[in-house]
Amino acid sequence: MHDHTTSPIKSKRGSARTMLWLVPALVMFCLSCVEETTPELEEQKFARLYDDNRFNESLTPVDVAQTADGGYLVLARRRLPESHFAGIYLMKVNARGEFMSAQEIDNQFVHPVGDLMAIEGNLYFFCMDELTVQTHIARVSEDLADIAITPLQAGLTYPSAASADGNDIVLLSYDHVEKLSVLSRVSPDGSVITSRGFDIGVGEDVEEPIINHFIGGGKRFPFLAGRIPGGAWFFNGFYNYTFSLVFTDLSQDQPMGVVQGQHDDGGFSAVVPIASTKFAAARFNFGDNFLLPNVLLTPTGITSSVDYPGNTLPELVPNATVRILRTVIDDTQTLVFASETRSKQIALLFYEEATGALLGSHYLGFSNPFEVSAVIETEDEGLLVCGTAYLAGRFPRICLFKLPREELAEKVR
Amino acid sequence: MRVLLLIALMSVSLTTAFSQPGGKRKKNRVSYMTKDRKQREENKFLEKQWWLGLKGGTNLSRAVVTTHFSGVSPTNYPLDQAYKEYEEFKSFGSQVTLEGTFYFRQLSLSLQPTYSRSQFVYTNHYNWRDPENAGHSLELHYRQLQKTEHLVIPILVRYDLTTTRLRPFVQAGAFAALLINASKEVTISGTDYASGGEHEFSGDPIIVGASDLFTPAYYGLMGGAGVHYHQGNIRLSLDISYRYGMTNIVSPAHRYGNDRLAGVGDAMDDMTLDNIVLSLGCVFPLRFLGNAYKAVDNK
Repeated sequence: MHDHTTSPIKSKRGSARTMLWLVPALVMFCLSCVEETTPELEEQKFARLYDDNRFNESLTPVDVAQTADGGYLVLARRRLPESHFAGIYLMKVNARGEFMSAQEIDNQFVHPVGDLMAIEGNLYFFCMDELTVQTHIARVSEDLADIAITPLQAGLTYPSAASADGNDIVLLSYDHVEKLSVLSRVSPDGSVITSRGFDIGVGEDVEEPIINHFIGGGKRFPFLAGRIPGGAWFFNGFYNYTFSLVFTDLSQDQPMGVVQGQHDDGGFSAVVPIASTKFAAARFNFGDNFLLPNVLLTPTGITSSVDYPGNTLPELVPNATVRILRTVIDDTQTLVFASETRSKQIALLFYEEATGALLGSHYLGFSNPFEVSAVIETEDEGLLVCGTAYLAGRFPRICLFKLPREELAEKVR
Repeated sequence: MRVLLLIALMSVSLTTAFSQPGGKRKKNRVSYMTKDRKQREENKFLEKQWWLGLKGGTNLSRAVVTTHFSGVSPTNYPLDQAYKEYEEFKSFGSQVTLEGTFYFRQLSLSLQPTYSRSQFVYTNHYNWRDPENAGHSLELHYRQLQKTEHLVIPILVRYDLTTTRLRPFVQAGAFAALLINASKEVTISGTDYASGGEHEFSGDPIIVGASDLFTPAYYGLMGGAGVHYHQGNIRLSLDISYRYGMTNIVSPAHRYGNDRLAGVGDAMDDMTLDNIVLSLGCVFPLRFLGNAYKAVDNK
């Protein structure tokens, strides 16, 4: 009887001790689970939709660049009710993607053209005068406090595309008088180092899609300008009645080589040179899209874009916008193809640069329609995707998605 | 000699006189001590008791924002217009609790692991207007319902204010809450004034699993009051408690981790979670004095 009454007591005393031990164990566990917000966490990953509550406002990004303070500067087109051309909108956000300031550039200057190029501490882009359509170069300080827009010294018109080549700029423009696609080397101060024009062909029908591209509402073309590292220059534009990829040494009026498109129904939608003849590219053909993460193009011959089959992606919208970024993810040289799907999401497709093999994919944006404008690598080895979000399904606004390095590594493993 | 005899006689008489009643007293004393010891043992036994039982009930939640975050960043109107509006103590949740209590002299130490489901709601409102045409406007409302399931482990000290059959008590302690599951439900509605009339619309809710958006655990303090009613061997209990969350329940690393929610501009604020918890239950004693499990505590 004695044992019967005491042993449960001992057992219960043991339980009490267990319960007392449980307290510090539980406290330690909970403390280990506490997660606090840090500035680093907020910078590593964010998703932001930048809203403007004006009903008729329309903001469509062109390009984005990271600034020295870790923030980002977005160049965008904005709808001008009184003009055929798009106005210029600049927005500065901090490293966490929080809105800092914005500038609506005077309506005299229209049609902002990327890339948004960082050269010697300033950011540059091209635009044109609304009345004269003369090309201007815009220099912007990173905090938007200082914006200077100056005309190019040569009378280039209709700027179409640009990219940095060291401290120079490669610019594609359209000469509507001579009906030429003009490729130029330009200094940041606005002087034109060299320039060559390439005949688009004769007739109003040839010029019409180009002008429609500029005045909006018409089909937009993926104009490009760039240089093979240490080699020839190239542009993606109209040449000889066709939307073509044209290679030139900028010393002759005839191209070194051409990859012809299909009039204005086919051609390249993105081109990034890897080596002398190796490229990462994407092409469109009567609405279909093909990704070519590892393609050999001939800068000195004449071929056709349909000669390069590539990976077909029916999930993409017809004639999709494609952006290609060379970067390193998880110690692998990777090509990031950013485009937009029929379900109005932004698709990121990761390919191994060496082999062209697909490593993984990631999709951004739900509920609202999204379109891609640019993708860049950030200082912390993450990615920043800039695009258009149609808020409430109808209001085009700027959006930014920041993806951290760790998440990207998971996508490509 | 006479004196000596007298002293001796008196001594014997006194001894006898005192010894007679003393013997009876000794007998009574033994009886009293036995009863007293028994009573004291009973009392001592009653002073220590383990109780085990179940209780359940409902709860109401309030999210207390510590830092605002927004997936929508206004560019031409104040940021605070994009802040969320929280409903406080409006959405009912539920909980079921296994209670283990050690009772000692009106004080109790109680461990009450609880499966708790809580809900709280916040809303966002946006509108777009044409300053030159008042008829061109659109209002959009986002209603976000958060449902969380936690294993809440409170450790409470309870003091019974009386030892009567109906015992009011107060209790206080700390708790840890371990996340089991979470989900979010976003309902979008609005009024369109720009498409030819006043048109109200509402879409199907977006329902997503959201466990990643919450921290695996949080902790806090709690206190409350209630009553026990002793009926037979069991105690019926009714108590109300306030759980005061002290740490962030939102995972900062995953604030933008759900693409569906990021697509509608949702980013959860840093917040703590408070609950008002109402429970009804019964507990059983684990020790008995009487035969046939007869209740020892008849108060």
